[in-house]
Amino acid sequence: MQNSKKIIPVLILIGLICLPIVQFFGNYNYVIHMVLFCFLYITMSSSWNIIGGYGGFISIGHNVFFGIGAYFSGFIYARYGISPFYTAVFAGLIATVFGFGVGFITLRVKGPSFIISSIALLMILRTLFDRWELVGGAHGITLPHNNLSVEWSKIPHYYALLVLMVLSIVLSWYVRHSKFGLALRSISHDEIKSEVTGINIKIIKVTAYAISAYMIGAAGAIWGDYLTYVRPNIFFIILIAANMVLMCILGGKGTVTGPIIGTIVIIFFNEFILANFGASELNIFFTGLLMILTLLYFPDGIIGSLKKRKLLPGFLDWD
Amino acid sequence: MMEILQVFILGLCLGFVYALMVSGLTLIFGVMRIVNLAHPILIISGAFVSYWLFIKFGMDPILSVPAAALTVALLGVLLYKLIFEKNAAQQTYSEMTVLLTFGTAMVIDGLLAFLFHNTQRITSPGYATDAIFIGEIFIPLAQLYSGIVSLTIIVVLAVFLKYSEFGIAIRATSQNRTSAELVGVNVKFVCLVSFAIGCALAGSAGALVSFVFSFFPSRHWEWIAILMSLVVLGGMGSLTGAVIGALVLSVVSSFVGAFYSPAWSTMVFFLALFLILIIRPRGLFGIKAD
Repeated sequence: MQNSKKIIPVLILIGLICLPIVQFFGNYNYVIHMVLFCFLYITMSSSWNIIGGYGGFISIGHNVFFGIGAYFSGFIYARYGISPFYTAVFAGLIATVFGFGVGFITLRVKGPSFIISSIALLMILRTLFDRWELVGGAHGITLPHNNLSVEWSKIPHYYALLVLMVLSIVLSWYVRHSKFGLALRSISHDEIKSEVTGINIKIIKVTAYAISAYMIGAAGAIWGDYLTYVRPNIFFIILIAANMVLMCILGGKGTVTGPIIGTIVIIFFNEFILANFGASELNIFFTGLLMILTLLYFPDGIIGSLKKRKLLPGFLDWD
Repeated sequence: MMEILQVFILGLCLGFVYALMVSGLTLIFGVMRIVNLAHPILIISGAFVSYWLFIKFGMDPILSVPAAALTVALLGVLLYKLIFEKNAAQQTYSEMTVLLTFGTAMVIDGLLAFLFHNTQRITSPGYATDAIFIGEIFIPLAQLYSGIVSLTIIVVLAVFLKYSEFGIAIRATSQNRTSAELVGVNVKFVCLVSFAIGCALAGSAGALVSFVFSFFPSRHWEWIAILMSLVVLGGMGSLTGAVIGALVLSVVSSFVGAFYSPAWSTMVFFLALFLILIIRPRGLFGIKAD
């Protein structure tokens, strides 16, 4: 049991590291794209899970950090020619600093007011970036392609996002098992009692919010380079945040592996919808429907429900 | 001076429409502690009802207010029975309920966008481009009429809540559910009816919105933030607060639109929300959101 807990994730990781080898045997760009898309969303939903799952602060505007990271690195790339692969680290830092600032304001309230403020934050940034001429307004920034051949052009992003994904899972695991995470989870149950036990709830909350911003910001920088354009109507849309939330809830929020499983399920579900029904409007419809059904009939998520019935395989139980 | 008065009056007219848009939201939150993120898309559903009645039968949007209200109220009852009934049983706020309304908003948004596409629509009754002049001040008839209709509906709602027996039952339930139940209020029925009334208000607001603003399904995300800022400013669950919040912010935003740039006028709502959260998280007239 203890062995499989370590071996299987390591084997999966080695498999993922080796996966780009398939490009030697033909053009498997679609496979690579799907896998790195999973990396991106696992990074984001695991990070969201820190504040939303452990902390219980549901943010439906968390992709502001995604957009900020993308804009920061994209702007530097377009202006000074420094690749986002180098600036992603700083993009994450900018997102974190921004998260600190915003967190001090919005985390004063909880419950419905917090959710509302997170949506308002998204709308503010959307309006701001739509009008900000320095970064191209509604047209955004266009970035140069890299000079790699078609088969290999996705590989740098693949590894960068793989690293970010692993880091964010490790971060999530660490927060789950640290004293900091314990304080965070106690805040999510009862703020006043936590404060009485001597937890500095303000610092804990804001720090958790800022930490969860870091990886999302860095991922945004890489994703902007991958798409080769950074636009408000791609990065500052609520559907991205909705997906993050849905992935966590479906997988089981407040668990380490929940967001991972949830992300994989949702991405393949979305792909199935796109392949069969095409229109992106129906995609929104089905995302919403899945969210309602999950919340009504499956509130513990996949991992939570399996754990309750003691059916969870050991290698998925990281809590 | 004249210009200031002009902008003030235009802002006030729109303010009453905003107040009507937000009143249903406030009512539902007060009674059930449900932050109904699906409210703006229900408004847009109402706008679609009016739009199709106007296109097919040439029916005036103001006359189609009852039709829109009824349609959306029925939709609301359906949603309530399917989704919210179980959650409304306990009157404590939960994240899950907010996310449920969020999912509902996405479902209706996706459905409307799939059926009618995300193109800008507006109903254009004869008076939509007309205006009356009082001295140097002009008032577009569309905004004047919609303001008057909104004000009427809000007054009727306020009187209903204040004096009718059922209105008192609704207020009792929103103040203290357990006590209300003890004195013989059928709380379940009150919840259902309040939800239906809230949705009917959304529908009637939609009929007015259809000729005051242009609308398309995905626009409701923007309106979520706008309406929520009004609710938070007024204090969650307070009808008076919501109306005052709507009037104040609408006037301020029309001043920003007139004297700075129309592009930034919606920003007023979002920034106001943040300011309120810093200064007074409970809002101006807030009851505690537990």
